[in-house]
Amino acid sequence: MKTFERYLLNRTTLANSHTLAVYKANGGYAGLEKVLKKPMTPAEVIAEMKASNLRGRGGAGFPCGMKWSFMPDPTKDPRPRYLAVNADESEPGTCKDRVLMEKDPHGLIEGCLIAAYAIRAQAVYIYVRGEYRESYDRLLAAIDEARKAGLIGKRVMDTDFACEIWMHKGAGAYICGEETGLMESLEGKRGHPRPKPPFPAGFGLWGQPTTVNNVETIFNVPFIVQKGGAWFASIGTANSKGNFLVGISGHVNKPGVYELPFGVTAREIVDEVAGGIWKGRKCKAWFPGGSSCALLLGADLDVVLDHDSLKAKGSSLGTAAMVMMDDATSMARVMEIIARFYDHESCGQCSQCREGTQWLAQIFHRIATGHGVPEDVATLESLAKGMAPGKTICALSDAAAIPTLSAVRLFRAELEECITKHKDPLAPSRVEYAGAH
Amino acid sequence: MTKITVNGRAIDADPKKPLIAACHEHDVDVPMYCYHPGLTPVGSCRICQVEVKQGDGPARVVVACRTPVAEGMVVNTDAPKAHDARRECLEFLLKNHPLDCPICDKAGECDLQDYSFDEGQTKGRTHEPRRKLEKRKSLGDVIVLDEERCILCSRCVRFFEDVTKKPQLTVADLGSRSTIATFQDRPLAGNYQGNIADICPVGALTLKAFRFKARVWNLSKHLSTCGECSRGCSITAEVLRGGELKRFRPRFNPKVNQWWMCDTGRFSFAHANATGRLVGAVRTSEGLRACDRETALGAAANALRGKASVTVVVSPFATNEEAAAAKTLAARLGAKTCFVSPAPNSLKDDFLHTGDPCPNRRGLVELGLQGLAAADVASALASAGAAVLIGERVAELIGAERLAALTGPRVVLFDTRAIEAPTLDSAIGVPLSIEKDGHWTNVDGHVGRLTIARAAPNGVRALVETLARLAELVSPAGAKA
Repeated sequence: MKTFERYLLNRTTLANSHTLAVYKANGGYAGLEKVLKKPMTPAEVIAEMKASNLRGRGGAGFPCGMKWSFMPDPTKDPRPRYLAVNADESEPGTCKDRVLMEKDPHGLIEGCLIAAYAIRAQAVYIYVRGEYRESYDRLLAAIDEARKAGLIGKRVMDTDFACEIWMHKGAGAYICGEETGLMESLEGKRGHPRPKPPFPAGFGLWGQPTTVNNVETIFNVPFIVQKGGAWFASIGTANSKGNFLVGISGHVNKPGVYELPFGVTAREIVDEVAGGIWKGRKCKAWFPGGSSCALLLGADLDVVLDHDSLKAKGSSLGTAAMVMMDDATSMARVMEIIARFYDHESCGQCSQCREGTQWLAQIFHRIATGHGVPEDVATLESLAKGMAPGKTICALSDAAAIPTLSAVRLFRAELEECITKHKDPLAPSRVEYAGAH
Repeated sequence: MTKITVNGRAIDADPKKPLIAACHEHDVDVPMYCYHPGLTPVGSCRICQVEVKQGDGPARVVVACRTPVAEGMVVNTDAPKAHDARRECLEFLLKNHPLDCPICDKAGECDLQDYSFDEGQTKGRTHEPRRKLEKRKSLGDVIVLDEERCILCSRCVRFFEDVTKKPQLTVADLGSRSTIATFQDRPLAGNYQGNIADICPVGALTLKAFRFKARVWNLSKHLSTCGECSRGCSITAEVLRGGELKRFRPRFNPKVNQWWMCDTGRFSFAHANATGRLVGAVRTSEGLRACDRETALGAAANALRGKASVTVVVSPFATNEEAAAAKTLAARLGAKTCFVSPAPNSLKDDFLHTGDPCPNRRGLVELGLQGLAAADVASALASAGAAVLIGERVAELIGAERLAALTGPRVVLFDTRAIEAPTLDSAIGVPLSIEKDGHWTNVDGHVGRLTIARAAPNGVRALVETLARLAELVSPAGAKA
C-alpha cells in the first residue's frame, strides 16, 4: 500500500485530545478563524466544499457542497435555519463517528461552526446515539469549554457570527439515524421518517430550512477550509475524494477504526491494516459498508473501496464499515441475525417494511434452525423485491431487502442445503438472543 | 386547474390536492387505506401505487396520495406494474391479518376485503403463525379495538390530531409490534369517537353499539339528516330488512359536516325502534280509545269546528313542508301559530354540535313562526279556546304534565304517541323523520333532505297529507271560513 498523509485521526492519539487546550495547540480552530477573520463569505466556503468534492460519509455519499447549496437564499427566505448533525451511528458494523466524538470533539464543533456559517444556520443540533454516553459527555464538556472561550454564542470569535450548538441524546432507535426520522425525533415526536418531498433544505426541523450531515462529513470541513478544496480533491479516486474512516470488524486479527485514502483495495485493508483473516482462514463473504449493503464474496476483495468500484460490483460503500466473515461462517445464521435487526428496528409505518422485515426474519430463522421449506428461498427473493427499491417512505426497507437479495444470489446453494438437510451444516452452537433489547 | 391524463382521459385536477384526489373526483378508483380526503396524507400504507409518466421521463410507480399533480402528467392506474405493486403491498398487509371476516362487523364494507378481491392472490405463502394481539380492547364507551385486524394506517390517530385537534391516540411500539393505543390506556373522551370506526378501513375499530348487531349487506341505506341539533349533519340512515333502524353514519357534505358527525347524533335513534306507535285515538266516555286515522280526524274536526281563538303549536322537528301545511291549516282556523323552542343544551362545541336541539329552527323562523319556550307555550295554551299540537315529539317538548294540567282548550294532537290529558279530544299518528320526505334548514341556511328510510306504521300517513285532510274536514273547500 502506498504511503499517505493522515489528518482525520492525527489528534486522537494525543493525551487529553478531547480538551480545548490540546486541540488549539495542534492547529485547532484555525479553520474557523480563517473563515471568520479573513473573512470568507458563506458562498466562498460552499464553493471550497464543492471544489473538494467531499461526499457524505453517512452512507448515501451525497456531495456535501451541493447539499449545502440547496439551502434557500436568505435574502428571499428569511426563516430561521438549522444544521443537524447525525451522530446516531447505529448501522451494524459502524463505529467510526464514535472515535471522533470521544477523542476529538472540538474537531466536530469547529466543523459545525464553519458549516453553520456557510449555510447561515443560527443553531446546530447534534443528535447522538443514546448508547454513546462517552461521546455525549465529551461533546457536552467540549461545547461548554468552547462556549466559555467565546467560540459558541452570540459573538463567535468576537465577530457578528452567532451560533448555538445543542446536544440531543437518542433513545436507541436505528430509524432515528434516517435524516427525517432524526428531525421528527429532535422535535420530540416518534422517529417516523417523513415522506420526501418536501426535502429538509426547504422543510426540515420545525418546518424550517435544515441541512443534515454525518459526523465524519462535518469533521472534514475544517481541513478543507484550511488546506483548500483542491488539496482535498487531489486525494482519492475519480469520484471519491479525501481520506475516510474504515471500521473493520468481524473475523480479522486487528479489528478497529482506520484512516485510509480512497483508492486502496479491500484486500490491502484486510491484510495490511487489519492483520488478515483470523485463525488462518479464508474470507467467505463481507459487507463493504455496514449490513445494509449487498454482500460480496471473498473473491471480490481486490475491489477498490470507493463509491464507483463498489457500485460496479453491485454493492455500495455505505459507511465503510467492513464486516468480514471467514469460511466457517453460516450465511443462514448471518442473515437470521441481520434480518432480525431490521425487523426490530422498522418504524412500522409502511406496510412492506413493517410486515416484510418480520417475514424475512421469520423465514431466515426457520432456515437457520432447520425448519425451512423448499419454497422459502423463492419467497425470500420475491419478498425482497416487493420491499425495494424505493417502494417505501425511507430506505430501511431497502436496507433489509438488499442484503437478503445478495445472500440469495450468492449463497442460494447453502440456504437450500439447510432446507433439504433440515439443519444448518455450518451452525455454530446457538445462542438465543430472543428479546435481546 | 392542472391538466392531466388519467387512464387515457383528459381531466382538470386541483393543483392543491394530491393525485389520488384528482382520480377519485373523476371516478377513477385508486385503492387507499391511510389516505382519507379529510386527513393529512402520510403515504404509509403504500396501496395507492399508480404508474405516472412525466414529460420524456420513464414511467414510474408512485404513491398517488403523496404525488402532487403536474401539468401534462400521464397517469395509468391499470398498468401491470401498478397492479403488481399493489398486489405485493396487499400480501404484506395480509401477512398478519387474522382473516376472521366471518365474525367481523366490517365484512362487506371492508377496504382490505374489497381490494384483496380486486388484486390479491388467492393463496397465502406464510408458514408462520399470525401475530397474536389483544382481540377486544376497550377504548372507552364507544369503541372497541381489535389489534390483530389493525393495518396501522393511522387514520384514527390523525382524526384526533387533524379534525378534533385533541390528540388522543398514537401508534405505540415499533415495527411489526406496533399497536394503536391511548396514553396509559386511558379511555377515549369527547363527542366524536364514533367517527374513527367509520374511517377505519378494516374491522379494527368497531362501535360497541353496533358490534354483532347486523351484517352490513342486509342494511339498506337512505340519505337523511341528523335531527340532534341545528347543524343538521348529512347522514345515512341504515335499516335492517325488518325495518329496524341499525345505525346513522355521516354522509359527506362539504358545506355542513364534511365526513363527520357527533356521537350524540350517531346514537340518537333508540326511540325510532320503539313499538306501540300511535295511529289514531279519540276520547270516549271510557277515556282515549284507539281508532283509525279517519275517525280520529273526524273527531278532531268536530273539536275544532267553530272554535274561536285556536292556537297551533308546531314541533321543532317539523319539516319546512309540514310547517307550511300547518300554517295553511292555521289560516283556515283563524289560529295563532308558534313552535316549541327547547332550551340550548350543554353539548355545544367548537366543531359540529351547535347546542340547539331544534333541527329546523331557521326553517320555521323563515316561515314566519315564532319560537316559544315550553312554559310560554303552556301559558299561551291556557288562554286559548282550542289547541292543535303538530309534529314528532311536540307533546314531550311542551311537557306532558303541562298539557295534563290544562283545563281550558280542547286539544288535538299529531304525534307519534298519545298522552294522558283530560282535554285531549283526538290524537293522530305521524311519521318519524326517517319515515318521511322533507327538508330541514340548518343554522347556516343549508337545506338538508330527509327521505323515507322505512315505511311508517300501518295507517300512519304523511303529516302534510293528514293536515290537508283535517283542513278539508274543518271547512270543506268552497265554504270559506
